Amino acid sequence: MSLLRLEALSKKFGEHWALKGIEFALEEGEIVGLVGPNGAGKTTLFNLITGRYKPSSGKIWFEGKDITSCRPHEIRHFGISRTFQSSRPFAKMSVLENVVVGRIFRGEFHLFPHPTDIKTALQLLELVGLAHKPGAVAGELTLSEQRRLDLARALATEPRLLLLDEVVAGFSPLAVKQAADLVQRVRERGVTLFIVDHFLRLSLRVSDRLLALDHGEKIAEGKPQEVMRNREVIRAYLGVRHDDEEQSAEGMEHGGQAF
Amino acid sequence: MIKGQPTSEPVQKPPIGQFALLPGLAMLLVLPLVAGGSDYILQVFTHALLLATLALAWNILAVSGSISLGHAAFFGVGAYTSGLLSLELGVSSWLTIPTAGLSAVAIAVLMWLFCHRLRGAYFALATLAFVEIPRVITDNWDGLTRGSRGLVGLPGLPGLRLGAHHFDISASPTGSYYFVLGYGLLLLAMVTLIFRSNLGLALQAIREEETAASTLGIQVQKYRLMALLLSALFSGITGACYAHLVRYIEPGMVYGIHFSAIPLIFAICGGRFTIIGPALAALVLYPLDQFLFHPLLPAGHEFLYGAVIILTILFLPSGFWGQLRKGHLVSIKTGSIE
Repeated sequence: MSLLRLEALSKKFGEHWALKGIEFALEEGEIVGLVGPNGAGKTTLFNLITGRYKPSSGKIWFEGKDITSCRPHEIRHFGISRTFQSSRPFAKMSVLENVVVGRIFRGEFHLFPHPTDIKTALQLLELVGLAHKPGAVAGELTLSEQRRLDLARALATEPRLLLLDEVVAGFSPLAVKQAADLVQRVRERGVTLFIVDHFLRLSLRVSDRLLALDHGEKIAEGKPQEVMRNREVIRAYLGVRHDDEEQSAEGMEHGGQAF
Repeated sequence: MIKGQPTSEPVQKPPIGQFALLPGLAMLLVLPLVAGGSDYILQVFTHALLLATLALAWNILAVSGSISLGHAAFFGVGAYTSGLLSLELGVSSWLTIPTAGLSAVAIAVLMWLFCHRLRGAYFALATLAFVEIPRVITDNWDGLTRGSRGLVGLPGLPGLRLGAHHFDISASPTGSYYFVLGYGLLLLAMVTLIFRSNLGLALQAIREEETAASTLGIQVQKYRLMALLLSALFSGITGACYAHLVRYIEPGMVYGIHFSAIPLIFAICGGRFTIIGPALAALVLYPLDQFLFHPLLPAGHEFLYGAVIILTILFLPSGFWGQLRKGHLVSIKTGSIE
């Protein structure tokens, strides 16, 4: 059984199909990169999986359970967590508090965080390289630190599936490499990863498979090198060369405005 | 409280520690002895303490990011509930004051039905408008509330009977003062508990990033509702205390914009991300207003509040206590911090 299965998943905003008939399955332990040009529907897909948006049609299955109509806090209890495209720390709270918040809302209510919750949170800060500043105000961290805090906070929920949305956008090549190492370490903890990565800087390094979207439709899936050779993907990203245009007239409607 | 591992990080110490408040507390405790001769001074500080409790109660909701401009609804309903129960039925104010808190909770449920989908300025404006509902009802339901004539001759704050001794709190300004001080300290303990608990963490997370909070498993609306109900409960109790302290209430007074705006002013000035900041501002600003600006400018003394709020927003956006305690507002400590 697949960990996550998307069945004819569609989302319509007004008259615009943000996603159309997406069929895909993620297996346990995989790292899958979700790629595609701007407006392809990558973040919309994450918002559907995490219950932020309701799909217009289709179903989402997680470990064989239908989670299509679940609300965000319920999705968390199934074991799905995410980070956000623009990182969203609880800015006025401390770094440690940010991560503890990820730990403590597990269904039953406790009045105070358990000492083990705090210990786990500190360990996660260690993992993402923020152990030296648990008391810092989250809003005052650098961009890269905020992204790592986002990651620690998402991991604090002990997800089975973690959705990473553009974690390396704006990162230097060195920082991308460090992020790739970190993602591998997260995978070693038994977490399945689904990574949105517009520029493929991270997903080409770490992914087992890629899923490519364009204009809300799946245009390719498979091993990274295969997907990168796929004509549709190249067209979506780079547009069509003038002398190719006559040969692939139907490419006109998609091509041109990648990146 | 809960200790994490000690850290080697050089911790940015705030310029002022919590213990700086102890002399202030001591002064509040001995004030009746010092100001024994002047009932006026005691009355002003009793009032300041009462407004401090209103600011503390208001802040329970504000910590979740919902700025209310409608707390006069809870204050007024609390005042009227306690006033009517003791006037019409002769119930002891020991009972009517908690009942007043519960009636404010009931009104808060109604407010929730109208306002729960709103955020930010829309929430604030809706709560401002909401106050009109209980005010108009109180004003016009003559048979029950005596309408715009108000309630006159209310009994004072509850007395205490210990064996043969009977402490009639209402008979002396000192008694009333200590009663309100006791309630204030109790509420402060309550608010500290709320802020430091998981509930407080949830409310702050909702304030900072609602979407991220829900992704981490926080049921946003459930916690917002809890904050509103707790806030209303204590605002209602404060309203009831006010009724028995002043012993005369009328709709225009207890449902007035004054009691909606004043907790917001105190909280913003003192620091609404702090536990005690709102109360401190009340204890500083209200006496300042009464002792200094009222004699100087009898007609326009409340300009003080306007000026203070503008200056705070411009120069101390986290409030004066928030500024002094900067970097120190965390509820979970990591070893050497705090």
